[in-house]
Amino acid sequence: MRSWAWGSERIREALVGYAFILVPMGVFLLFFIFPIGYAVYISRYNWGILGKIDFVGWGNYRTLFHDPIFWRAVKNTAMFSVAVVILEVTLGLALAVIVNQTLRFRTFYRAGFYFPSIASSAAITAIAIYILSADGLLNSFLGLFGYDTNRPWFYDSGTALWSLVGLNGWATSGTIMLFYLAALQAIPVEVYEAAAIDGARTWRTFWKVTFPLLRPAHFFVLVVAVIGALQMFDQAFLVAGPEGGPNYSTLTVVLYLYNKAIANAEFGYAAAVGVMLFVGIFAITVIQRLLFGRPEVA
Amino acid sequence: MSRRTIVASLAVLGLALAIAALAGLGTGTGTAAPHAKQLSGTVSLSGWQSSPVEDNLLRQVIKAFQKKYPKIKVSYTALGGDYDATMLAKFAARKPPDVFYVNGHVFPVWVPQGVLASLSPYIKKYHFSTKPFFPRLLSGFKYKGQTYGFPKDWGPLAMFVNTDMLKKAGAKTPTTWATLRSTAQKLKSSNAVPGGTPICLSDDWARVFAFVYQNGYKGGILRSNSIMSSKVKAAANYYVGLWKSGLAKRPQDIGASWNGDGFMKGKCAIAFEGPWLVPPLKDVPSIHYKIAALPKGKTRGNLAFTVSYSIAKDSKHKALAWTLLTYLTGRAGMKKWTSLGLSLPSRKDVKPVSRLSTFTKAAGYSHVWQGGPKFNDVITAANNELSAVAEGKESVNSMLSKIRSAAKSAGQ
Amino acid sequence: MADRPELPSVPPLVAVEELASTGDVALGVPERAHIPGRGRVERVRTVLVYLVLTLIAFLFAVPFLWSVLTSLKPISETISFTFLPKTWTVSAYHSVFTEFSFGRYTLNSFIVAAAVTVSNVFLASLGGYAFARLRFPGREPLFFLVLGTLMIPDELRLVPVYQLLVNVLPKYLHVTLVPSRLGFILINLVSATSLFLMRQYFLTIPRDLEEAAKLDGASYFKTFWRVMLPLAGPAVAAVTILTFQGTWNGLFWPLIIFQDSSLWTLPIGIAEFHQVYTTLWPQLMAASVVALLPIVALYVFFQRYFVAGVAAAGVKG
Repeated sequence: MRSWAWGSERIREALVGYAFILVPMGVFLLFFIFPIGYAVYISRYNWGILGKIDFVGWGNYRTLFHDPIFWRAVKNTAMFSVAVVILEVTLGLALAVIVNQTLRFRTFYRAGFYFPSIASSAAITAIAIYILSADGLLNSFLGLFGYDTNRPWFYDSGTALWSLVGLNGWATSGTIMLFYLAALQAIPVEVYEAAAIDGARTWRTFWKVTFPLLRPAHFFVLVVAVIGALQMFDQAFLVAGPEGGPNYSTLTVVLYLYNKAIANAEFGYAAAVGVMLFVGIFAITVIQRLLFGRPEVA
Repeated sequence: MSRRTIVASLAVLGLALAIAALAGLGTGTGTAAPHAKQLSGTVSLSGWQSSPVEDNLLRQVIKAFQKKYPKIKVSYTALGGDYDATMLAKFAARKPPDVFYVNGHVFPVWVPQGVLASLSPYIKKYHFSTKPFFPRLLSGFKYKGQTYGFPKDWGPLAMFVNTDMLKKAGAKTPTTWATLRSTAQKLKSSNAVPGGTPICLSDDWARVFAFVYQNGYKGGILRSNSIMSSKVKAAANYYVGLWKSGLAKRPQDIGASWNGDGFMKGKCAIAFEGPWLVPPLKDVPSIHYKIAALPKGKTRGNLAFTVSYSIAKDSKHKALAWTLLTYLTGRAGMKKWTSLGLSLPSRKDVKPVSRLSTFTKAAGYSHVWQGGPKFNDVITAANNELSAVAEGKESVNSMLSKIRSAAKSAGQ
Repeated sequence: MADRPELPSVPPLVAVEELASTGDVALGVPERAHIPGRGRVERVRTVLVYLVLTLIAFLFAVPFLWSVLTSLKPISETISFTFLPKTWTVSAYHSVFTEFSFGRYTLNSFIVAAAVTVSNVFLASLGGYAFARLRFPGREPLFFLVLGTLMIPDELRLVPVYQLLVNVLPKYLHVTLVPSRLGFILINLVSATSLFLMRQYFLTIPRDLEEAAKLDGASYFKTFWRVMLPLAGPAVAAVTILTFQGTWNGLFWPLIIFQDSSLWTLPIGIAEFHQVYTTLWPQLMAASVVALLPIVALYVFFQRYFVAGVAAAGVKG
């Protein structure tokens, strides 16, 4: 913290600063901060459509801790997030590295890999449902290799969640690829030439030189990917509906929140679920920052 | 007085009474308040659309209404996406539409929250007769003795049978539980459904419970105090048994998204669906089918899926809303609405399109598909357990016991 | 951290040139370093790389290829799985624009996405500049708050935001916000992601230019508008693409706010096809293709700057 010399110039600068951020902060306070405060407030009540029914204090949270379906949702969300982040980050990095080579048609490949990311959830989920249905493209494809199966990938409790992982990972890997591509291109050629002079082979160069240099990118990518994965809603909703069947296999925390609010009009309980999710996301982000973060350039 | 005079007077009196009674019947069939023609203003109507054709049809009905009541303007909005979510947001903001759809199984969630207006005062005030509505459907929209909506249409289940496949198997249309099995067996052994299954049977309690009622069960749907009864158990075992003996498969196991989808793809010969399957089947003329009643168990039983028109408690135009609502669910309105065979009339005095006549016959023994305010929790748990049973991971008894605890915690 | 090589500091304008180029920044041994005796191995390796690449690109593209093909089939051919159409027809596209009003949905999507993008670019750059360069008490906590908003799920915000838009704000602003494009634009005026990107980019611009402007007597706003913003081209491009694409594809808030079908955007129209009992696959695919084209065009046009902008803003460190 600098010592403030409250000269008129400093005051002017501060006022201009506030003026510049006035509208954005207004939007954030009104449509983000107020709602989370409101959510915490109503989570302490039995809250119906038209308002409070009765005060329960922390009762909703107590019920939540003993709610087996909530914990199932937490488990699903955790498994999904870990798997999808690993998938999309690995895939995105690999694609970025490949596309970063001096190749012809590089723009074409880059566009091709980014393609799934620019389509809307509704469209790609519809396509995925058709491809992964019991007599869809995937099963026909597997049949070519002699793996004959009739499995409805999205509607079998064993494979439903993993199919969502595949879908989401595939769709987001393009965005991750672009982030890593940008970071890779920021690494000057000299670094590689230095490594080449030392006689380093391709793979080693990657692990010893490139990968560590991407550290800021890793941090950024991980934070963005994890936050996104923990809040995944559209695809699960479109595939299986808010119940998260079969056998709760695709029920995520967000879906459970939605379910409680819309299907049962239990807004207080739903708010408690949402607050717990927010706390979880916050905690995980803070942990990531502590483990991988770096001081901000100021 | 002479005897002749007395008889004549009595005859005249009787005739007068008869005329009065008939006249009374006439005004009772769903006309609005007597002063409705003097009312003016705008009334808002919301619903969802299942197809552009349906949307257009509703607009035609509204046009006819506005012709009859030129001073009343109707502002109709078809809400897309998640209807329930949008309606809840509107209720919470206390700016709901005046008249709107209420789904039968969502009704018990909304009505205790105080967002629907009771229609009973209006029924009383204007001596409105609700007799033409099928009583079972109407009771689905009653709460604590008061009426909160009139059914706008409905649909029970029926047995869709692929006639070509039936012929190939040399089998007859099933009429009982026993003949359902035997027909399915014939379909299977004669390979009349190549690459498919005789019966498309979804893991959905909204199908199983029809069989439960056919087994003579009398009670509510998925209630904790009755779900473990022997009648339910036997019906569930029969249903599950169809899967286990290879006579039926779930739609997702044969690449279909629902029973109707499987039927349309020619992947099954028998499917239990409602009148909503009829319009899409028009797009697949290669499928020749007939609509038969559900098989009989110990008795006849069926489920009624219905939607009401209701008025919002926070509506500021209740008189106008009542006028619109009674027209839409009145004889003229409903006749127009059901004229294309897209829905089934919920009134006894409106005949359905001939193709749908089998469905209407079930009105006397169909039970409205709904539960308590937390019905969604129970049905989710119940269907998840049923999927587990279908995949061979659980026993029927264990499933029923789990449903009972889910029902208990949901307070039904 | 010890073995991390020191990166030479690169002035922003040069960085933009470098980053926007498609030049030789290769992994491993650059092609120029010619090592004698390895010619044939190199060629085989290159061929293999192209093969793998094409295969992966093919796998990525197949679903979209298939959806375009399906959009050109009549309904009867989509009941069961087929790949190529037997009868090629554009009836699905015709149906989508006449029966299903997709022309209007496209227009709505465009209006709304353009408005939100313009607003985001302006407000995020203004705010981002303030967070990066101006000093005011509470700057860091406020920025942390901004980032925190990313962690709040949309579904949790539904009821309070809706109540604000319907009950509270119209009283003070004297406009209808729901159902209306205004309500949607209002809650999306600026996003935390846009602000973050702009701020990060502004941090990388050296101070000399600003100081020169200040010596010339320019006001804060003039410095921002005339000097800094023009330098932030790549970040502006990044914000433009991300915001336009996000708004164009968004489903949740449009569903809640655009209740009247005259206001619907493309994703709502596409999702409606899920509701119909028979999924009209040709129409659904045609609608998806229609929804994709503007984004593809935007991306192709802006992609050089997008990569550069994201690089400088977030991932370079």
